[in-house]
Amino acid sequence: MSQINRRQFIQAFAAVSAAPALSFPSIARAGAKAKVVVIGGGYAGATAAKYLKLLDGRIDVTLIEPNALYVSCPLSNEVMVGHRDIGTLTVGYDGLKKRGVNVLHDYVTRVDRARKVVMTKGGKTLPYDALVMAPGVDFHYVGIEGYNESMINDIPHAWKAGAQTLLLKKQLEAMPDGGVFVITVPKGPFRCPPGPYERASLVANYFQHHGKKKSKVIILDANDSHSKKGLFNQAWAKMYGWEKEGLGTNGMIEWVKGAEGGAINKLDAKTKTVSSDFVDVKADVLNIIPPHKAGKIAVAAGLTGETGNNFEQGWCKVVPMTMASAVDPNIYTIGDSCVAGEMSTYGNPNAAFDMPKSAHIAMTQAKVAAAAIVAKVNGLPTPQPYYANTCYSVVGDEYGISVAHLYRVENGTFKYIPAGSGISPVTMPDKSPVPAIYRKLEAEYADGWLRNVMADAFI
Amino acid sequence: MKKAVMYALTAASLCAAHPALAVDNVQGLAMTCNNCHGTGGVSVGLSMPSIAGLSESYLKNIMTEWKTGARASANMTRLIKGYTDDEIAALAQYYSKLPWKPAAQSVSADILAKGKEVTERCETCHGATGGQPDDADTPMLAGQWAKYMELELLKYRDEGFQMTHKKMTRNARKMEEGDVATAAKFHGAHSK
Ligand SMILES: Cc1cc2nc3c(=O)[nH]c(=O)nc-3n(C[C@H](O)[C@H](O)[C@H](O)COP(=O)(O)OP(=O)(O)OC[C@H]3O[C@@H](n4cnc5c(N)ncnc54)[C@H](O)[C@@H]3O)c2cc1C
Repeated sequence: MSQINRRQFIQAFAAVSAAPALSFPSIARAGAKAKVVVIGGGYAGATAAKYLKLLDGRIDVTLIEPNALYVSCPLSNEVMVGHRDIGTLTVGYDGLKKRGVNVLHDYVTRVDRARKVVMTKGGKTLPYDALVMAPGVDFHYVGIEGYNESMINDIPHAWKAGAQTLLLKKQLEAMPDGGVFVITVPKGPFRCPPGPYERASLVANYFQHHGKKKSKVIILDANDSHSKKGLFNQAWAKMYGWEKEGLGTNGMIEWVKGAEGGAINKLDAKTKTVSSDFVDVKADVLNIIPPHKAGKIAVAAGLTGETGNNFEQGWCKVVPMTMASAVDPNIYTIGDSCVAGEMSTYGNPNAAFDMPKSAHIAMTQAKVAAAAIVAKVNGLPTPQPYYANTCYSVVGDEYGISVAHLYRVENGTFKYIPAGSGISPVTMPDKSPVPAIYRKLEAEYADGWLRNVMADAFI
Repeated sequence: MKKAVMYALTAASLCAAHPALAVDNVQGLAMTCNNCHGTGGVSVGLSMPSIAGLSESYLKNIMTEWKTGARASANMTRLIKGYTDDEIAALAQYYSKLPWKPAAQSVSADILAKGKEVTERCETCHGATGGQPDDADTPMLAGQWAKYMELELLKYRDEGFQMTHKKMTRNARKMEEGDVATAAKFHGAHSK
C-alpha cells in the first residue's frame, strides 16, 4: 500500500468515528449504510461485531447467536476441577448492544449466497453486504464404533463450555480414589491444541488435592505428538510422577500416542471401555473429545470443501489479506471454522503451520476481517493484516506455560514467523532449570489474559 | 467518546513526521495487542498492565530490551522478536498518545498508611504515589494494576530473573517481603 493510500485509509477510520457527518462515496452512492451480518457470537463473531462498530460506527451490524449467554472455553478446565467459578467465564451481549450492534438471538439455518441473505430458524430473512461466518466447530460423531451424540450426557466431551463442563466436574467429584479418568484426543486439527493436556494436568492436580492420590489420568491420543510436549512432560515429571510415555507406567498421568494404541476406534458404553487396535482401556470417568469440523452452517453454505466430511475438506479456506472466504468474496470466515495456512499435523516436523484453533487467534482474525470490511465498504485500499496468538495453560499450582505464534502475509500468502513464536522456556539458555517465577508469572497472566480477551470481545 | 479519541489520535500520530510512518497499519498492529492489554490498551485483567498513556520512550525501551534479549520476560520476549524496530517504535508512539486511564482499586486505610511508608524509596524516580515519573523512561505507577506491579517487583527480587535496571533491582531487593504487595496496592490505589 502506498503511503498516501495508507494515510487516507487510517484517516478515514478516524474521520468516520470522530465525525460521522463526513460522507463516503461508496456509501453515499448506495444511499444506505452497509449491512454486515455476523453469524455466531463466540470469541470470533463478538470481536468482529465490536470492531466493525469501533472502526466505522455507521455500519449496520447484526450479530446472530442463539444463546443469551456465552461461556468461555478458555480456562474452563479450571472450572472442572473446582479452581474457578463458571460465572467468571460467562458473559452476555449487553456490551455489544451498547456499542450499537443489533443482537438477534436466533439460529441461522440457511445462507443464500446468490441473493446475499441469511435465513433464521425464527423465520427472519436478513440481507447483507458482507457476511461474517463465525459458527465455531461442529463435532464429528463418527469413527468410534458404539459412540454417538446421544451419549454425551453420560460421556461428556466438555469441549464446548457450560453444562458439559459442570457434568464432567460432577463425575470427577463422584469418582472414588483409585479410579481412572480417561481422556481421548481426536486427530487434529481440533480447537485448543494444548487443551487436552492442560485438562489432564489439572485433573491430576485435583486428584492430589481431593483425596484421590491413587487415581490415574490416561490420555489416549490419536496423534503421535502434541502441543507444548516438552513443557507438559516437564510439568508432569515435576508434579505428577511422570516417567515416560505409554500405558502402565507409574506416574499419575499416562500418555499413549496414536501409533502405540492411542487412536481409539471402539467404545463399549456400558463398561466405559474404549479400544484401539492395540489396547482396551476401562474408565471410571470417560471424556471422549470427538473429532471436529467447521460449524454446520459454514458447511451448509458451501464454504468448506466438497463434502465437509474429511479433515482436509472440513474447514473454510481463507484469503490471507482479509480473512475473506476463498470461495465467496462477500463472506469472511473467521475463528475455529476456518483453516488459515496449510493444514499441519503434530509430530511432522516438516508440516507447515496453520493457525491453531484458539480464542486469541480467532480474535485477531476477527479484527483483520473487520478492518478489511470497513475498508471495502468505504472504497479504501485493503489494510495490512496482522495476526498473533498466545495460549496459556495452567497445569498446576502456580504453574503456567504458554505458546505464542506470529504470522504475516507476504505476497498474498500466510507466513509463519518463527522469531516471534515459541513456547515458554523448557530450560534456560545455559541448560539450567527455569526459575519457578516464570511458571508462577504465566499462571497469573493466564487470568489477566482471560479477563482482557473476554472484555475485548464482548464489552 | 472513547472510539472518537482512539481513532482520531491515530490520524494525529500518523500525520507527525516520524519513523512510525514506515509501518503500514499501526492501528491494525495495535489491535492485536488489545487482546491481552485491553481494548485501546486499557487493561481489565489484574495481572496485565494497561499500556495506553505510558510514555513513548518507556514503551519503546522495554520492547527493545525484550527484543534484544537484554531483559527477560515470561512471554513478551517471544512475540516481540518477530516485530521490526519500526513496528516497535510505531506501537510505542500509538499507545503513548492514548489517554492514561487509572484502574479503580480501593484499599484499606491500613494499606494507605503502611504503603506510604514502604514506598518512600520509590519516590525519587516515580514521584509521590508513583504518579509523577521524573523522566520519560520511568513508568507511571499510580493507577496501574496492583497485581501486575506486585509480579514486576517479584521479578526484580528474583535472582534468576534478568532485569536491566540496576537501581530498581537494588531497591526492590531492599524491600521486606511482606511489603511488596502493600507497595503495589498503594500505588495501584492512587489515580493520576
Ligand atoms: C477446554 C478448552 C480450553 C481452551 N482454552 C483456550 C485458551 O486458553 N486460549 C485460547 O485462545 N483458546 C482456548 N480454547 C479455544 C477457544 O475456545 C476457541 O478457539 C474459540 O472459542 C473459537 O471461537 P469461535 O468464535 O470461532 O467459536 P465459538 O466460541 O465456539 O463460538 C461460536 C458461536 O457460534 C454460534 N453458532 C453456531 N452456529 C450458529 C448458527 N447457525 N447461527 C447462529 N449462531 C451459531 C454458537 O452458539 C457459538 O456461540 C479452548 C477450548 C477448549 C475446549
